[in-house]
This record gives sequence, C-alpha cells and structure tokens, in this order.
Amino acid sequence: MFKAVSNNLSAEPKDIRWFYDQYAPMLLGYINGIVQDQQKSEDHLVVILTSYIKDVAILPEKSRLNIWLELRQYAQSKLTLYTAKDHQLNLNQSVDNGRLDLLDDLQKRIFCAVYYHGKTIQYLAATIGCNESEIRNQLRLSIDKMRRASGN
Amino acid sequence: MESGLMETYVMGIATEEEVQKVLSLKKEYPAFKDALEQLEYDMEVLAQSMGIEPPVDALAKIELEINEIQRQNQAIQTTVEAEYSYNKTHQENKRGKYIEVESESNQMRVNKAWKWAFIAVFVLGKIFLAFAIYFYLENRQVKEQLQELKIELKQKIR
Repeated sequence: MFKAVSNNLSAEPKDIRWFYDQYAPMLLGYINGIVQDQQKSEDHLVVILTSYIKDVAILPEKSRLNIWLELRQYAQSKLTLYTAKDHQLNLNQSVDNGRLDLLDDLQKRIFCAVYYHGKTIQYLAATIGCNESEIRNQLRLSIDKMRRASGN
Repeated sequence: MESGLMETYVMGIATEEEVQKVLSLKKEYPAFKDALEQLEYDMEVLAQSMGIEPPVDALAKIELEINEIQRQNQAIQTTVEAEYSYNKTHQENKRGKYIEVESESNQMRVNKAWKWAFIAVFVLGKIFLAFAIYFYLENRQVKEQLQELKIELKQKIR
C-alpha cells in the first residue's frame, strides 16, 4: 500500500515546516507507542522524518488522509527491530494512552498489535486462540469505541 | 461495512485480495467511499489525540540533516558535471591535436596447410643449388682438362 515516490529532495523549507507541524506530534506519539521510550522515540522521530522527506515527495495538496497512512506504515517499516517482537504494552508509562484506556484488555491487545506492530489478523487469531472473524470484530469494536469518544 | 474490512484496510494489514475488494467497493458504492474516508479521517484524529509534542530542537535537527543531504547531493552533481565537462573537453582536445590515420598492417595471414609446401620448396631449392654447384665444378674441371689436352696436342704437332 505504501509507495515511495522519489528521492530528489525537492521539498521546499516551507513545505517541510508545514509537514512537521502537521505530522510530527502524531508521529512521535505513534513511535512512542512502539518504542515506549521518550528519548529513543525523539531520536527515531528525527531520523524517520528526515528519511521520509528524503524518500517521498511531500506535497501539501496531496490527500492528507493518505499521507498519515503512508507515514505510519513508513515509520513501522523503519522500526522493524521493535515491531518484530510481540508488543508489550506498558500500562504504567507516564505517556498518555489517549483513548486506548477506553478499551478492555483484549481489545487493547488486538488494537495495539495491529496499529503499532502491524500484526495480521491471521497471526493474532493463532496467537490469541480466537477465530479470525472474532479478531476482526474486536478490532472494529475497539475503533468504534474510540471514534465514539471523539464524538464521531 | 460490518465485516471489519474497512478497519483492516485503514490499519494497513489488509491482504492483497482485501485491498482489491476495498478499491472495487469504493469505486462502485459512493456510500462505502464516504464511510472509508470518514474512517481514515477519524484514525487521523485518533492519532492526533495520542500525539506528543516534539522537543523544540527537533525541527532544526531535521532541517540541518536535509540541508546537509542537499549540500552533498549538489556536491556530487557538481563533481559529475565537472567530470563530464573535463572528459568532453579532453576528447575534443585530443581530436584537435592528432590526425587520425587509417593504417594497414604489413603482416599477412596464411593458412597453416601452406607450411609443408613452403618446406618442400625450401628443400628442393637446396637440392637444385647443390646440383648447380656440382655441375658448375664439373664443367670447370672438364674445361681445364680440355685446355690441357689442347696444349698437349699443339706441342705434339710442333
């Protein structure tokens, strides 16, 4: 789904600043969800954003929804050292988990494994010991819960 | 919409078959397309709610890295252009200094079968030379004997 476009580094400084303002906080939150270490997450943020700006054309007029999906998958591909392991959610961490607290344990486990670590439905079904439709259903319910909390 | 297909697609874990199905449904049903876009937007809002403010120097670090990469790229480009320009000038200079001459080789190629013919001709040449020397000496000796006989005959006649 993710497509690297070019590496001609044609991005203007104002485009870089716009991109940073728009996505850096979201990306840092996402990276911190994977790495679970504030300092390491900040280091990864600089590396990943630089690399993304270098590899992929960032155009403000491009569909904003696609950018976040691409950026998230790009970050995930750069953090395979962490995503290869099973996700251990540290519930005591000082970082605000946002709407993750609305989910029950199973939903939180499924959502985090998919969202942060890119685990497939088949993998989760085999690991948790449920059938695939149950995993899909729990994933849908967890997203619905968090969307409803946002008023959508 | 209730199958969880949209969610797996938006979470980026859909299989190739599921991606094709989503794209097809998106094309066919505007309601599906709207729902998918709304879900994508909500996922972005969710990510914003879980966002963390980056440290103040992060943007400066990124801009510095980008500038450094751009500077290196420009340096590489300049070097490549300079090398290309040098090679072009060098070749043009070479063309100006020297006149290209079409030379022909003074060697000839002969089939290996001719080797025995050449040996035969060489050996026969030697034999003929030996015969020629032999007959030359023989002829000279005969001439000398004839001269002696003539002298003897003249003395007898006197």
